[in-house]
Amino acid sequence: MEIFDQKEARSRKITKYILIGLSVLFIAVMLILPLASVIVNSLREGVDYYFKALSTDYVTSALVVTFIATVIAVAVNTVFGLVASWVITKFDFKGKNVLSTLIDIPFSISPVIAGLAFIMTFGRLGWASEIIDSINSALGTDIQIVFAIPGVVLATIFVTFPFVSREIVPVLNTVGKDEEEAASILGAGGFKIFRKITFPHIKWALVYGIILCTARALGEFGAVHALSKTRGGTFTLPLEIDALYMSGSADSITAAFAVSSLLVLIAVAVLIVRNVFEFRTKSKNRKGK
Amino acid sequence: MYVELKHINKNYGNFQASKDVSFGIEQGKLVALLGPSGSGKTTILRMIAGLEHPNSGEILIDGKVVNDIPATKRGIGFVFQSYALFRYMTVFDNVAFGLEIQKVPKDEIKKRVLELIELVGLKGMEKRYPNQLSGGQRQRVAFARALAPNPSILLLDEPFAAIDAKVRQELRSWLKNMIEKLGVTSIFVTHDQDEAIEVADEIIITNKGRVEQKGTPIEVYQNPKTAFTASFFGQPSELVDYKQFNTFKDLKNVDKVFVRPEFVKVTKKSEQQFYKTSAVEGVIEQIFFRGNTLELVVRVGDNVFTARRGLDEELVEIGEKVDIFLYRIFVTSGDEAHLVQNQSIREESLVI
Repeated sequence: MEIFDQKEARSRKITKYILIGLSVLFIAVMLILPLASVIVNSLREGVDYYFKALSTDYVTSALVVTFIATVIAVAVNTVFGLVASWVITKFDFKGKNVLSTLIDIPFSISPVIAGLAFIMTFGRLGWASEIIDSINSALGTDIQIVFAIPGVVLATIFVTFPFVSREIVPVLNTVGKDEEEAASILGAGGFKIFRKITFPHIKWALVYGIILCTARALGEFGAVHALSKTRGGTFTLPLEIDALYMSGSADSITAAFAVSSLLVLIAVAVLIVRNVFEFRTKSKNRKGK
Repeated sequence: MYVELKHINKNYGNFQASKDVSFGIEQGKLVALLGPSGSGKTTILRMIAGLEHPNSGEILIDGKVVNDIPATKRGIGFVFQSYALFRYMTVFDNVAFGLEIQKVPKDEIKKRVLELIELVGLKGMEKRYPNQLSGGQRQRVAFARALAPNPSILLLDEPFAAIDAKVRQELRSWLKNMIEKLGVTSIFVTHDQDEAIEVADEIIITNKGRVEQKGTPIEVYQNPKTAFTASFFGQPSELVDYKQFNTFKDLKNVDKVFVRPEFVKVTKKSEQQFYKTSAVEGVIEQIFFRGNTLELVVRVGDNVFTARRGLDEELVEIGEKVDIFLYRIFVTSGDEAHLVQNQSIREESLVI
């Protein structure tokens, strides 16, 4: 009996180490090596070249465009995500399920199609182009959507809009309406209820959603690619990387890696921020108990 | 009447949760809304609170129609079934919440909150969070929180449902005392008739969205007026064929017949029985020990019903043939219920 137990314990231990080994190997080959090679390649021509590659006009312009698109997309989607989750969890109405499914469309649709959809809407042949033209002539402005920064922003908003609400809806669903009803009976108005009761529940889910949304906005390629054609004007970082890489000379490939390393570093930073938040919440909860 | 409902109807889609509900409650009374689950009692409570809105009818509080006054402004205290304590706030902040919204000065809030926390017996726990409290303690916090802004009415939704049996018993009498002491008009929802009988001054029985009957616990218990009340209150068993008891032969318009355990006299063959001649023979099918009594399931012909015998009486056995005498029965016809006495009691009392 005892021998049998020992045998079983040993085989269980072996299984454990095999599984751990497989996971580590998989992550190393699929994630760490490729990302590390990005960093290594970016430094192939030396540190001086690395910084020179990052400070060209094209790259700085792309950095600015990416920054603008990300900030606007995250801000818009945070507000939209909060409103949508509120509507979905707090009210009953016809078409609620349809709405909640529609929010997920960007997850299932190819970003390129999103980009093309915007061209078909706001482009010269699109139904909305006349409206924009008439606005422009009335106000004396020259607003361009397609192949301009507003188009890039729109595309980024489109591909990132489910992230915030996807994080918040499940939390609000598990929390229920009781506490809010209790607060309203005690005389609290809508904003007070949100600030004092609802917000503490969804705080971390919101942070999480914003982080995911940011990461996705920074890296978006397909939708933006369809709507952005001017290098140094409307290109974002991913597009600039693609352009550098496609131009084919050894120098520009190294530059492509240098710019890529920038995005990798931002992604790592975002993950670190996320983990810090997670750690803080956990230790705070522990204190609470 | 302090709280009054007039012809209230409420639908959820095709489901009618309230059907022409009308009743009034006097100031200072502790009233139970009693009914099976799905009978619409919680809906009534939530409409009084302003959390739901009737499709038609009027709700009056202190003589004023409050249909259009939002929950926020009704000045009602509400204790939720789940307590709904604010889980990110301490006990102190939970109780203080309503007062802070009324912009009561800080030092007054502190005084009142500490007073209430002491009143509900949770002194020293001000800084705890709801997840650090037991069920009974949470209930007390919910109670204190509802009372803090001095509500004119206190509503409680199944206040004892989530508490274990022993604490429940304690909390019932505690809550009754507390509400009596404060004199606040209170309505609580329950599906437990023992709870309603024990705690309430008045019971309102609901069934399928309708109010069936309203009265003091004794009134409702002794004189069920509707078919539902007769079949629900007490521990009634339905008699399939009452004619097998010789003494209830000449009844007209009978839909159903119910008998409560206290209406049944079970005697052993060897025992004396005053109405021996009018008794019928029955068989003991099951026996349950209930602590202070024995609960018996007895069969007479096709009728199977519940009866009791005291522990001071001689023991009976399963399968034993016994004499059964029914003092009275409830007879329902249509929506009404009547109490019918055993004829032989009347006859013999006439003889005497």
